Amino acid sequence: MNRIDFIDYYAEKLKSDSSIFAQQKMLIESQMQSSKSFFRNHFKGQDFKTAAREYLKNIGKI
Amino acid sequence: MGEAYKIEGDTIVINRELNELDLFVKDFLDMFKKFTNYLLVSGYVSITSGRSRATEDVDILFLVLDKSKFNELFNYLIKNGFWCYQGDTAEDVYTYIKSMDSIRFARNGEVFPNMECIPVNSSKKAQFFELNNPQKAKVKDFEFLIPPIEFEILYKEIRLKSEKDIEDARHLRNVFAEILSEEKFNKYKHIIGDKNE
Repeated sequence: MNRIDFIDYYAEKLKSDSSIFAQQKMLIESQMQSSKSFFRNHFKGQDFKTAAREYLKNIGKI
Repeated sequence: MGEAYKIEGDTIVINRELNELDLFVKDFLDMFKKFTNYLLVSGYVSITSGRSRATEDVDILFLVLDKSKFNELFNYLIKNGFWCYQGDTAEDVYTYIKSMDSIRFARNGEVFPNMECIPVNSSKKAQFFELNNPQKAKVKDFEFLIPPIEFEILYKEIRLKSEKDIEDARHLRNVFAEILSEEKFNKYKHIIGDKNE
């Protein structure tokens, strides 16, 4: 099954089974927790905004 | 079990619990919408309707503000727990708005997710159109505005066109297949396809 086939399959399942949203919630919240934890450690002991802006410049977000 | 969404009057009601991303967006919008018109677009529209992917950026269109109104908005957000990637004062950040460039806000002490705020005026025809023709959506008690689904699909297929956008569009076409209107697709195709902006 390629990616587009999976998207079609997933959407079809979702339309009749909203319990699939619970898996999506877990995925989203897990990513958010990982991100928080990563940046907490990454910028530890530094001025947050200065370090964050430096990081964001390096990844092209600003 | 149950259906993923239903239509109540003019609102698409998504049948799911709120997640942490929704709560982040809701907190931001509760403040933001006091100052200007807005529209949540792009990835959040797909994710709110079940697309199984993560995102760092939540894109929000807003009607461009004059300097004084922007100062009020900026200071309100800063006072209430957000920081801006582009600068710490309304004065500095307004230079981006004047140039019609995006600005981003995240919660204090966090980098992602962020709200990417995209200023819009009548010179950006397609975005100006969708901002003025919103679709209401709702998850639990969180009510918000998104583009008409047909518009969002075409914008991703015609303008954005990355692999992720094409997949998002495919997801939306599938999930909302029963309510999509061919007439609306035809109408929006001309607006989105117009490159004179």
